[in-house]
Amino acid sequence: MFCSIKSPAVRRLTNRVLGTMVLNILFAVIAALAIRFAHLRGIAGYLVAVLPALPIVGVIVAFGVFLEEEKDEFQRNLMVQALLGGIGGTLVATTVWGNLEAFVHVPHLQSIWIYPIFWLFVGLSTPVVLWRYR
Amino acid sequence: MKNRLKVLRAERDWSQGDLAQRLEVSRQSVNAVETGKFDPSLPLAFKLARLFERPIEEIFTDEEERG
Repeated sequence: MFCSIKSPAVRRLTNRVLGTMVLNILFAVIAALAIRFAHLRGIAGYLVAVLPALPIVGVIVAFGVFLEEEKDEFQRNLMVQALLGGIGGTLVATTVWGNLEAFVHVPHLQSIWIYPIFWLFVGLSTPVVLWRYR
Repeated sequence: MKNRLKVLRAERDWSQGDLAQRLEVSRQSVNAVETGKFDPSLPLAFKLARLFERPIEEIFTDEEERG
């Protein structure tokens, strides 16, 4: 992500994230088809609905593993700062939106959007973090 | 924290890339440490000390101690 020369840890992270993205799409299609056509109810319905979220957990785990595996402490530091930017930005954005929902009745933000919003803020934080060390 | 990495590198005619290769880190990391924007951990500081065959305090200067 940050390294000019990709370290083995970055390569492994990239492969893991790509793998989980493929699983995410696959599970989302399976869940949509199963709920729509098989009319799943009860526990089976809940399990299928949760299925697409599992690869997302996998991405979080992959980043945790990366922070363990990456030997370059400066690169780890860059990654941690970008992730913190993502967490902070998401907390601020969702809290502000929550207040808007409560007091001025803006449209409801479904919690499924919180994860993409987090990565949006990680993406916005990354150039800022890199700029600090240019 | 100030350091003498640039001087020590120049004495050996090493580029930042050469030093990065020896330390097994990215060139970006060497640049960040050299310019004082990133303070290395003790293990990395010891690695630098071994590489340049100097004590750590000859490579890094504690600004607060200098007053």
